[in-house]
Amino acid sequence: MPTENPFQDPLRFERRVPECAVVIFGATGDLTRRKLMPALYRLAYDRRLSAGFAIVGISRRPLSDDAFRDQMREAVQQFSEDTPFDEGVWRAFAAGLFYMSGDIGDGGMFERLARKLAEVEAARHTGGNALFYLAIQPSQYAPAALGLGAAGLAKGNGWRRLVVEKPFGHDLASSRQLSDELHRVFPESEVYRIDHYLGKETVQNILAFRFGNGIFEPLWNRRYIDHVQITAAESIGVEGRGSYYQEAGALADMIQNHLLQVMATMAMEPSAGFTADAVRDERAKLLRSIKPMTPDEIRCNTVPGQYGPARIGGEDVPGFRQEPGVDAQSQTDTYAAVTFFVENWRWAGVPFYVRTGKRLPKRVTEIAIQFRRAPLAIFGKENTGLPPDLLIVRIQPEEGISLKFLAKRPGAGMHLRPVSMDFNYGTSFGERSPSAYETLLLDAIIGDATLYTRQDMVEASWAAVEPIQDVWRNTAWNFPNYAAGTWGPPEADAMLARNGHVWRKP
Amino acid sequence: MGAALSPEKVLRDLAALWTSMAKQQSRDREAAGEPSAADGVLRACTMTLVVLAEESEDPTALGETIAALMPEHPARAILLRLHPDGPRALSERVYAQCWMPFGQRRQVCCEQVEITASDAALGDLPPLVLPLTVSDLPVILWCRAPRLTGMLEFGAMAGIATRVVVDSSAMPDAARALRLLQDLARNTPVGDLAWTGLTRWRAMLSQVFENRERLARIAGVARLRVAFSGTYETAARYLAAWISDGLRAAGAKPQVTVEPDAQVSTVRVELEGRGLRLALWRDGQRLMAQVDDSSQCTHLPPPGDYILMREELGIDGRDPVFEAALAEAAGLG
Repeated sequence: MPTENPFQDPLRFERRVPECAVVIFGATGDLTRRKLMPALYRLAYDRRLSAGFAIVGISRRPLSDDAFRDQMREAVQQFSEDTPFDEGVWRAFAAGLFYMSGDIGDGGMFERLARKLAEVEAARHTGGNALFYLAIQPSQYAPAALGLGAAGLAKGNGWRRLVVEKPFGHDLASSRQLSDELHRVFPESEVYRIDHYLGKETVQNILAFRFGNGIFEPLWNRRYIDHVQITAAESIGVEGRGSYYQEAGALADMIQNHLLQVMATMAMEPSAGFTADAVRDERAKLLRSIKPMTPDEIRCNTVPGQYGPARIGGEDVPGFRQEPGVDAQSQTDTYAAVTFFVENWRWAGVPFYVRTGKRLPKRVTEIAIQFRRAPLAIFGKENTGLPPDLLIVRIQPEEGISLKFLAKRPGAGMHLRPVSMDFNYGTSFGERSPSAYETLLLDAIIGDATLYTRQDMVEASWAAVEPIQDVWRNTAWNFPNYAAGTWGPPEADAMLARNGHVWRKP
Repeated sequence: MGAALSPEKVLRDLAALWTSMAKQQSRDREAAGEPSAADGVLRACTMTLVVLAEESEDPTALGETIAALMPEHPARAILLRLHPDGPRALSERVYAQCWMPFGQRRQVCCEQVEITASDAALGDLPPLVLPLTVSDLPVILWCRAPRLTGMLEFGAMAGIATRVVVDSSAMPDAARALRLLQDLARNTPVGDLAWTGLTRWRAMLSQVFENRERLARIAGVARLRVAFSGTYETAARYLAAWISDGLRAAGAKPQVTVEPDAQVSTVRVELEGRGLRLALWRDGQRLMAQVDDSSQCTHLPPPGDYILMREELGIDGRDPVFEAALAEAAGLG
């Protein structure tokens, strides 16, 4: 009996997508409406889903299947940014949408889910495969996983996988506890911790750029790289998420997960192959190599910030403490800048400046790799002080890679000026880039965990960030310390100035 | 217009084109009060695309197809327009295809060279085209004129390409066309738009066997029939070749029939055997699959040249699945 489909053509066919049911807990929530459903619809639109595909939405609110379909139709129409709404595609997609109401605390709900999944499997031929997506409050992750286990849903006649969203704990101990609880039901290999930054096309392209080309890797070390700046700036404030954000803060919300994963991708050693574990092993190794800081080092190498009110574009913008749901004396960081050092032979002594913040001048995420200057300035005094060579990896918006270097200005004399060589993802491959959620959902269905974070990676990130969190929590900060619409507190500039560096203004 | 046309002149014209576009962009920016130093015209190029077409072809439609391909496959496009009659003559013009990617400030441009030649000057084309190709990047030759594939000079043009794309469905004799392609493929990787047009069909059939229960029944397939109408003989042969190859790999020994059928609008595939019955056919804008008692339907308008070439240009080098199907299809009685 054949075990492999003999009609494969990997050069021309899209990746094989197995039949499955995606079970979404939190099916009427914001994440489902804004991200998951538009991404799944887009996959259907691109014919990327198997014919045997179904979605079972679960939420507390009682709804019929049809009412759920109507809500999801609205969500897809409202939040699909660059996907046309096609009535025919929607009808076929919606035929696989089902709903059941229930509370995660109610064991009976999981029994009903088991029956519902059996019905869906019979009707839609989902092959017994199920992807459980927890788009719910983090405090509900463990109860949901345990409920699935108790109802026998973590095992079946197909594969069973669990997708969880960040935050994966709020410190090292809680992240370990969460993993332990999930592992009581799902083995680590079936737990998919989603970090949507890793699903972005340019973040994946870092691997292609570094390990698909032979010319950059020899330069990718302390001998040629002076320092690295990783910036994730947002121009908006907390946008109604004040009470959640007050508990998290910029360091935990962005640096502990997204930006350390980006840094690990940028700085990791070449993996032996492009398999999930080989790539993740190297990322984890890099994260474990981040130098833990003492309290004194933390005071010198980190800067928290919080935005104050300002007038931007003729409009008054509130400070963080004036946002709804935020304590008027809040000590939460809406800005965080950290100088990390990686203790390995490749990176010893190279500062990795990582910053993120809300209400900064623009929305931009990028990695800037600044190379060392030429060892000798031979072109005279007028050509000193010119900017160093820079490699910019833009993650959003306008995903792409730019190399800035010096060239002779045309005409008499030897005058140098910086020029830019650009690779722009959108223009070099005019094809639309899939959204991070499309990539990651498809990967989870296929069973490719390369772009998902693993328990040891999460723990290594917390090990680097938790000491900073502890010092920050035990310090009374004189917030606000930067005005909305500026590039953060002056102390962050001073942190770089101590090393003779300046922040880029992307 | 004359028999002599210098590649150096074409390259100089191209360089002048880029300079003038950069100056224009700079003037436009200054007029708009924007700084011009950092932004400029972005040149994008991933290949040279040489298009061999009849001069009688609608230039607007062909130009639109090439322009549509550029954002995804930026190329230096060299369009060779041939007319069968007239003295040995060549003429050229250069221009650019530009677009402003959505949401971005910079204009992206690709260059295009158009050369008109008579059949008598066909032999002059390879030495002219070779220096015009972009160094170190693939050269794709897209031959839209079936009559040329049989000419001696075509071999010389194919010789400078890293990949040749033709459309065998436009050739009058399917069996002969497949043998010709097989000969061509011995030296150069080849693509055939008649095969490209079958990707969705093949993907749909493949999807059927992603189901483990159906896969388990595949070895029991005893009969494969591919019926076709009109110009779809090549497509039918390709499908029959590819499917029978896959069936044999799975342990089946099917009886294979490829035959014309007036009842069929394009192609119809039927598989029958122990515990499995499958049919695949086009119904207007839809592709239909009937597997035992269940049916599937997918929206599939007949693909135009743009869609087919878009897929072909995404393939570098050899396509082993196609080459195996070509060899098998050329040998079908």
